Amino acid sequence: MSHAVRGLGIDVGSTTAKMVAVGSNAEMIWHWLEPAEPRVEEQVARFLDKAAAALGPLSGIPSVATGYGRGLVPAMRRVTEITCHARGVYREFAVGVTLVDIGGQDSKVIRVGSRGETADFSMNDKCAAGTGRFLEVIAQRLAVPLERLGPIALGTSEEVAISSTCTVFAESEVISLIARGVAVGAILRGLHRALVKRVVAMIRTVGLVAPLVLSGGGACNPAICQLLAEETGMAVHLPRHPQLVGAHGAALIALEKDAD
Amino acid sequence: MRKAVGPIARRSEVIRQQRERGGWVAAVLPIHYPRALLRSFDLLPIEVWGPPGIDPDHGAAHVQAYVCSIVRNALSFILSGGLDVADVIMVPHTCDSLQGLGSLLLDLVRPRQPVVPFYLPRGERECDIQFLAEEFRAISRQLEEITGRSPSLLELIECVKRDEEADGLLGSLHHRRNELALNSYEFYRVLRAREYLPSEDFVELARSCLACAAEAPNVGVPLILSGIVPEPMSMLALIDELGARIVADDLACCGRRLYPNGVSEDPFVRMAERIVRSAPDPTRGSPLADRSEHLLRLAAGSEARAVVFHGVKFCEPELFDLPVLREELKRAGLPSVIIEVDLNDPLSHQVRTRLEALLEMIR
Ligand code: SF4
Repeated sequence: MSHAVRGLGIDVGSTTAKMVAVGSNAEMIWHWLEPAEPRVEEQVARFLDKAAAALGPLSGIPSVATGYGRGLVPAMRRVTEITCHARGVYREFAVGVTLVDIGGQDSKVIRVGSRGETADFSMNDKCAAGTGRFLEVIAQRLAVPLERLGPIALGTSEEVAISSTCTVFAESEVISLIARGVAVGAILRGLHRALVKRVVAMIRTVGLVAPLVLSGGGACNPAICQLLAEETGMAVHLPRHPQLVGAHGAALIALEKDAD
Repeated sequence: MRKAVGPIARRSEVIRQQRERGGWVAAVLPIHYPRALLRSFDLLPIEVWGPPGIDPDHGAAHVQAYVCSIVRNALSFILSGGLDVADVIMVPHTCDSLQGLGSLLLDLVRPRQPVVPFYLPRGERECDIQFLAEEFRAISRQLEEITGRSPSLLELIECVKRDEEADGLLGSLHHRRNELALNSYEFYRVLRAREYLPSEDFVELARSCLACAAEAPNVGVPLILSGIVPEPMSMLALIDELGARIVADDLACCGRRLYPNGVSEDPFVRMAERIVRSAPDPTRGSPLADRSEHLLRLAAGSEARAVVFHGVKFCEPELFDLPVLREELKRAGLPSVIIEVDLNDPLSHQVRTRLEALLEMIR
């Protein structure tokens, strides 16, 4: 089966690590996703073993690494997550989009032009506000499993305003709300709103052009999708594999380079 | 073979020499100030852009968490004795944060040295020049009291002309940067020596650099650097490493201080003319249209393909302009990226990613 693999993309993010293999028609033929481990080289070696077991020998297959840990990946090329996400989302939507990627520790907004090029981008700045980490910290504080955050937030129409998008300040705001007996659902809805507002501010810096696409771990949270649609007044589209857009884009770049 | 720049005298060494000659030292906060006026009183201006990488805790008790690291560090530096070597501290009213620092130093945490604050007009009209000239006359009277010296107008105009010569060479360095045998890091070390070298020494340094041409023109994706100060300086090495180069700058400490020669024979007016007629600067209230025009002109003249806005976190004058400025540049086909730094932080992975992504965008 190894003849079918024409490019590998490896996206080592701060929260998850992903690998995608594409065939000669740029279609995704294999993928893997795991929580990111501190020993990136070892984890990637294991990914490659898994891929080889599933797809056959991989020697000579062009590869591109992306994401926060790209410098530690033994790939043929390293490309930023901005370019890889732009490539990945364009492959699926085939038009210019505004891509919002909400990751575990960072978020980005990318304006993808009509030819799939990066027209502009914005990244959050070394701060958990506007990222999955924001909700993770609060989930711990409220003892709510991460995957339940969105459904609980959407299960109520009540909402309290959380004035701070800074994780540290928001956490203390949440503590005082709990102490005042405010319902968890209302707090969570307010927190999702705060996160989404922060992301919308980033969207404004690059300019919002339809369609609006949401990727990353944040796309798995239904409250983020709904509130993002509410705050922007625009439908939010999800890629088939929201967490694999960057790795897919990396594999596509590897494939293009092979063809060059 | 590229010939690297020779040793540049260190700040501490320059201060020591000034002291040994019996001269005085003025610590000067950013950005624009009457350098020649200080020199006419034999006060050597030593600029204080932070400094970076110091323990900011001394200042933390006195300023809000959202005050920029230049002001926070400067206050910490003063309170921890870092500026004890200075005889005078000059605080231009560059922005609200520096004005706040001036008030703190005048009223609440008084250093042992006299503090000389002054206002900068927000405009480029004739009356702005006259206003600034009056400010400089007032400073002159204050310095007479502090130092007991009273330089003649002739001595002052000589100092102004010496500055004009140094700034002319500074301009030549900027314009010929691509031909010089200096990488970005070395180049900015030379430019920034203007922050503390006496003008006459800077003239020598600039001439020696200008005489040392590169064998082949510097290559790399041409970029404009805009912002306050290129810290951490390791960012410049990163830009080189990524295959880019800075071909022009709109930095408060460099390109925005390419002061043109003045025309008046009144030295106070002449110093004011030079500042008021310099490149657009948000801290001098320059209209956004002037700023975008200036950046587009710089890009056209240097063939720059993108702008890196390199700001100091919480710097209001810079941040206020950025959304509109970026939009204007984008409309004109010049992409840009924003990088924000705190003077106490090392170069972050995010800065690298943003620069790389910008280069991937335009390559
Ligand atoms: S960095 Fe900005 S806010 Fe700070 S002193 Fe300079 S101009 Fe003022």
